[in-house]
Amino acid sequence: MLWHIVKRELFEQVNSLRFALAMLLTVFLMLVNAVGHIDEYKVRQAEYGKQVSAYSARLEQNSNNLYKLVLGGPGELYKKPSPLSFCAYGSENNLPKFASGKQAGWGWNAGIIDGNTYNVSGIWRLKYSGFPPIKAKDMFPVFLKIDWILIISSVLSFLALVFTFDAISGEVEHGTLRLTLSNAVARRTVLTGKFLSCLISLGTVFMSGVLVNLLLLYLSGVLQLNAQEWSRIGGIFVVGLMYLSVFIALGFLISTLVNNASTSLVILLLIWVIWVVLVPSMLGTIMSGLNQPSIRRGPSPVYFSRSGLKERYIARGLEAEAPTRERPPTPATRLWAEFLNEETRESARLHRAYLNAQIDQIQIAREFNRISPTAIVQYAIESLAGTGFQRHLNFLKNTENYGDAFNDFLISADRADPDSPHVPFVREGMSDKPVSFESIPKFQDRVRLGEAFKGAILDIALLVLFFAVLFATAHVSFQRKEI
Amino acid sequence: MLWTLIRHELLMNLMTFRFLVTVIASMALVLAGSIVLTDNYERRLASYNEDFQRHQEGNFSGKTYSSFMPRLDRAPNPLSVFNQGLDKRAKNSLQIKIGEVPFLWGDVNRNTGFSNPFRYLLADIDLVSVFQILFSLLALVFAYDAIAGDRENGTLRLILVNPVGRGLVVLTKYLGAMLCLTLPLLMSFLLALLLQLQSNAIHYGADGFLRVGGIFLTTVIYTSTFYLIGLFISSVIHRPATSLIVSMFIWVTLTLLYPNVSLFLVNRFIDTEERVTQANQAIDQILEQFYWAEEAPGDPFENPPLLKGSKSGGGSSSYTHLKKNITFIPDASEIHVPTVKAYFQELTSGRLRTAGTVWRIREEAFSETYIRKSNIARNALRFSPTGLYHLSTEAWAGTGLARVEDFFKAGRQYRETILDYFYDKKAFSSRQWFASDKGAVRWDDIPRFSYQPPSVLEDASNRALRDLLLLFLFSPILLMITFAVFSRQEV
Repeated sequence: MLWHIVKRELFEQVNSLRFALAMLLTVFLMLVNAVGHIDEYKVRQAEYGKQVSAYSARLEQNSNNLYKLVLGGPGELYKKPSPLSFCAYGSENNLPKFASGKQAGWGWNAGIIDGNTYNVSGIWRLKYSGFPPIKAKDMFPVFLKIDWILIISSVLSFLALVFTFDAISGEVEHGTLRLTLSNAVARRTVLTGKFLSCLISLGTVFMSGVLVNLLLLYLSGVLQLNAQEWSRIGGIFVVGLMYLSVFIALGFLISTLVNNASTSLVILLLIWVIWVVLVPSMLGTIMSGLNQPSIRRGPSPVYFSRSGLKERYIARGLEAEAPTRERPPTPATRLWAEFLNEETRESARLHRAYLNAQIDQIQIAREFNRISPTAIVQYAIESLAGTGFQRHLNFLKNTENYGDAFNDFLISADRADPDSPHVPFVREGMSDKPVSFESIPKFQDRVRLGEAFKGAILDIALLVLFFAVLFATAHVSFQRKEI
Repeated sequence: MLWTLIRHELLMNLMTFRFLVTVIASMALVLAGSIVLTDNYERRLASYNEDFQRHQEGNFSGKTYSSFMPRLDRAPNPLSVFNQGLDKRAKNSLQIKIGEVPFLWGDVNRNTGFSNPFRYLLADIDLVSVFQILFSLLALVFAYDAIAGDRENGTLRLILVNPVGRGLVVLTKYLGAMLCLTLPLLMSFLLALLLQLQSNAIHYGADGFLRVGGIFLTTVIYTSTFYLIGLFISSVIHRPATSLIVSMFIWVTLTLLYPNVSLFLVNRFIDTEERVTQANQAIDQILEQFYWAEEAPGDPFENPPLLKGSKSGGGSSSYTHLKKNITFIPDASEIHVPTVKAYFQELTSGRLRTAGTVWRIREEAFSETYIRKSNIARNALRFSPTGLYHLSTEAWAGTGLARVEDFFKAGRQYRETILDYFYDKKAFSSRQWFASDKGAVRWDDIPRFSYQPPSVLEDASNRALRDLLLLFLFSPILLMITFAVFSRQEV
């Protein structure tokens, strides 16, 4: 019986004007998306390749002296562009493309020690800046990028409402619903059948758009995806369908509550405009305005002379004696190493705190935006496609892990040198021999599939929740409806 | 008769659920939007004031003529609350240099107004975008059953039994609905103004209020365009539900898809970078050539140094500017001072000449790339009422490209004024050009920079009214077509 209803509904849907218009609109937009992205990925990939080779060259140059690596760090760590940016543009041109792992940016002529001034510079650390400037070519009326997110979240959700607004109210108006229910068929089955048919017909529209899009990208040679990326696309497709289910359920709910088909469409459109268009672009911004970052500036490179750190060490006799290469290491060598290490740790902490304050403001905005399923689907698809804010957080985590690995390498390379006093990270306490370039860990900005799904899981769960609540409510109100 | 019909339409509309929703939705969104946008404007203003203060102190602190390199700041526009345009994204300061003509097109750092650069990730919507989306939708919602609904109910037949022309019916429906839509619009504007004036940062003079009035008028005409589109569809399609579906497809296409798709495609297919890179290479070559041919030979501070034993109070040199401040010249070197003067006079005239050449290359490159691209984008937008609405309100608010360019034009004029002043003072051939040992330059009578943005009348006649007129043209045409279709129909 269920299948019978689905078939009947589906037949009716597919033959309607709105199905044709929906198909036209979706396929056209997917074509625009593909055309817009044909060269873009190649250009970014080439740029990334250039940046990575510059990074390698710098590292290789610095590998002729271990201490040069300690001071200079690994260099700029670049974020790997996602091949799926046509699915989710993710506002990438507003996000930093790299984190900088370079010189501390301070040098200090430490007092008179044994009649000489002792010159010392800070060791490398991670700094999170690198926000790209607004380019002259972007000084242009603002527009939304036509990516899959836009097509799914605005256009397909709109189509879902147009497909469902008269599902119940229209049939009530015509009296056909009474006819259907006079057969031995449960209301539950009618609703489920209608839901499935709407999902299938919208899914067909979505699928056709996706196929046209992928085909065009494939034929132009841009698309060379591996299994992992295909499964991401599959994930995005499923998330898209879930999002559409939310709107189909919403359409059914309003359609059962209102007896007039036009009124139900009017109500749905007003909900849509507020929920899909206006809330995601306003609510988060308002809420983030209330949560300004508590830290207004990043630490200056010489913050330690103002924060009391320097004085504390001077009181412990830092300026009394310079470090030496003596073995076993003198207390002065150890004290200098302790100072440098603490300075680095503290600086990293301050940089991180500044970054966290900035991130928190955005996180709050995102939490509030999640009132709207449009924001939810955007975040989920961005996570899956490997673009946007969540991906940027993953990248930052990758750089931190790499920073630790790099320091571990420096320590172990120093251990391997028998002539070194082994007191990292003061110059006199460390080896200054060359290290083999091959043994230096290289930064690889890898995002595992599992991590991408993990980033999206909360949003997917929220979508399911939205759907469950709306569908259950629609169900209850349909059961109680007098026809 | 006319008034009776309008009153009837008005009452019919006012009592509806959709009117209530319209009022609530527009007020709530305007309330929320105004708070965010005003706060944002205040932040930008504070950051501007800070910069302005700092630059005011620094601009006239130089001791020699050559160290005069004032920085000029562009104040944020309070009307960016209505339409942001480029106000937030375009460069907001420039520096006057002898060797460079200031220009707008360059990279802009993301620190204006926000302390958090990640904030660019959050969508920033202005009030015009809210009206653009909400009122076009509401207009269609008011219109879809205006004729089709009455026809279905049979009330249309009833009305036409009376001695009223069909034209009058269409007209009264239009006027009644527009009154009904204007009311929440007016309330929204008043609310927005009220919230903005609460802030200490925003003061509107007569000029500002006229501009807000212009934006209001444009919004009314925009709403009217969409109402008439809806009315036309309603007269052509007999079933209200179908008429609504068609209206909605047209709405999505006109407000969401057309502007975004056309801008996306313009941005994608008009490449500016190649031409700009080419121009920059040519410019680099000219500067390099100038350096080796005119600047480096005879440099009095290179070997053999002419002013031996002099002391310098800081300075810098680049292709585009040379800043010298010599605080002490020993008597032994005094004989070389005329040579040094002559060198600097020669050098400065060379720099001015080079700056002119470079500017001509730049100007040409910009007009062929960025300006052309921007014009194409604007013309593409003109094909939709939404685009026209955006452009016209941008012109009323004074946040468009033209206004930003205007500021830079004023900067270029100021540079000319300064050059004239320097010629008058014979500054280029004076000792004070490079040395302050015989007393620092007094900046008392140097012309100050002041930028007067164009008045509302200029903006209206040059920019806003043209797009407003195009937008307005839709209304009578649509009204006539609707009337023509409706009068031939069987009821």
